[in-house]
Amino acid sequence: MAKARALDRRRRSVRNIRKITRTMELIATARFKKAMDRSVAARDYTKQLVKILENIASTGADVVHPLLDVRPTTRTAVLVLSGNRGLCGGYNSNIVRQSVAILGQWKSERVDADVAVSGKRGISALKFRGIDIDQRFTEFEDKPSFDAVMPIGRAYLDAYAAGKIDRLDVVYTRFHSIARQEAVTEMLLPLKAPETAGTATAGAVGGAGAPTQLASQEYDFYPSAESILEEILPASFLSRLFKCFLDAAVSEQVARMVAMKAASENAAGLIKNLSRRYNRARQSQITGEIMEILGGVEALKQ
Amino acid sequence: MADATHSGTGSGAGRGDDGSGVRCVIVTPEMTSLDTRARSVTLPLFDGQRGVARGHSPFIGRLGAGEVRITGEQGGAADAVRRVFVEGGFVEVGHNAVTVITQRAIPAESIDLTQARAEFEKIRGTTATGEDAIAAKMQAEATAREVVRIAERSR
Repeated sequence: MAKARALDRRRRSVRNIRKITRTMELIATARFKKAMDRSVAARDYTKQLVKILENIASTGADVVHPLLDVRPTTRTAVLVLSGNRGLCGGYNSNIVRQSVAILGQWKSERVDADVAVSGKRGISALKFRGIDIDQRFTEFEDKPSFDAVMPIGRAYLDAYAAGKIDRLDVVYTRFHSIARQEAVTEMLLPLKAPETAGTATAGAVGGAGAPTQLASQEYDFYPSAESILEEILPASFLSRLFKCFLDAAVSEQVARMVAMKAASENAAGLIKNLSRRYNRARQSQITGEIMEILGGVEALKQ
Repeated sequence: MADATHSGTGSGAGRGDDGSGVRCVIVTPEMTSLDTRARSVTLPLFDGQRGVARGHSPFIGRLGAGEVRITGEQGGAADAVRRVFVEGGFVEVGHNAVTVITQRAIPAESIDLTQARAEFEKIRGTTATGEDAIAAKMQAEATAREVVRIAERSR
């Protein structure tokens, strides 16, 4: 009996765990949907900023700004976006691996790196690997707000302007689709202006022939294209940084959803297996008992 | 009219132009907080206010802290005014559409007057040293004053 009972007890505990993982899966799904909606809603802002940048670039104004200057890197900053909680598959460990790689690279090049980490998981994992963390954030959950991200971004902008850092890399999980997220290291400072550069060359090529149909040539600028550029570049940096936070939040929920779904399915498999073994053990025990009784009866007959 | 010449390029408004008024969109980093049609829109540019009605020539401008006034919103009274406080940012006007791009947009009626006053007094109470700090303080003070003014007016 002992074996059957032990199996039953194990089956019961696996069932309870399945209940927990299933609930976590549902919660992660709900949070993912909300986070996704926020991320989609945030796209308009970036789109509009890019549109204005394109307009400015196509007026032929020189796109020159301190934030666009590439300087030799002597001091750099790395911002790592991880989760506050575990149970989300490889989400945190991928981030940690990625950040250890880039920090190792800076170390081998003898470049001082200012390390900022968001998320308890990342903080403890990097501390365990003996990395000094200069700044920690634990307030970002599944709904990062722009107001919370802005001070961090402003601090980086100021540090960059003051020459305290020459580069900013953000390690986060980029969200491609529900099926694909990857941990990436993205350079946010100095700002790349791929959109402006792209349209500027396109405008130049087209402009060689007939005057092109660029909508921007109709625009007046108040006070001037340069002054707007000066304001818009920091804004576009902040919105890109914010997008990193949003992506990280969405990816974390997806990772948790997938991990918990796998855990629930695995639990279901375990339960099935355990049930089979339990039934077999019980049956063989019953058979054994019947044999004993029969043996007793035979003995009494004689 | 201006829109006759622009209709060909028509990239400004994603939604169809119904032939009256202007479309007003306010986007913040978190979401599109307002998308409506109205008779006219008054914008707080960096150096003063500017009104935009149908057929306004296209421009891109820098905004200061202040209120966007949307008059004669579709589906409302002809002289109804909706006020939204915006804290800096940009505006793009073209194709009978006004797009306000700002870091913060708060509907005037949801500003808490006492809180705004307290905030203003707090900023006034601080002392700033150094050129940058003084400039930052001046700007914060001006912004806070604007918030208080808007809150008072919309009561």
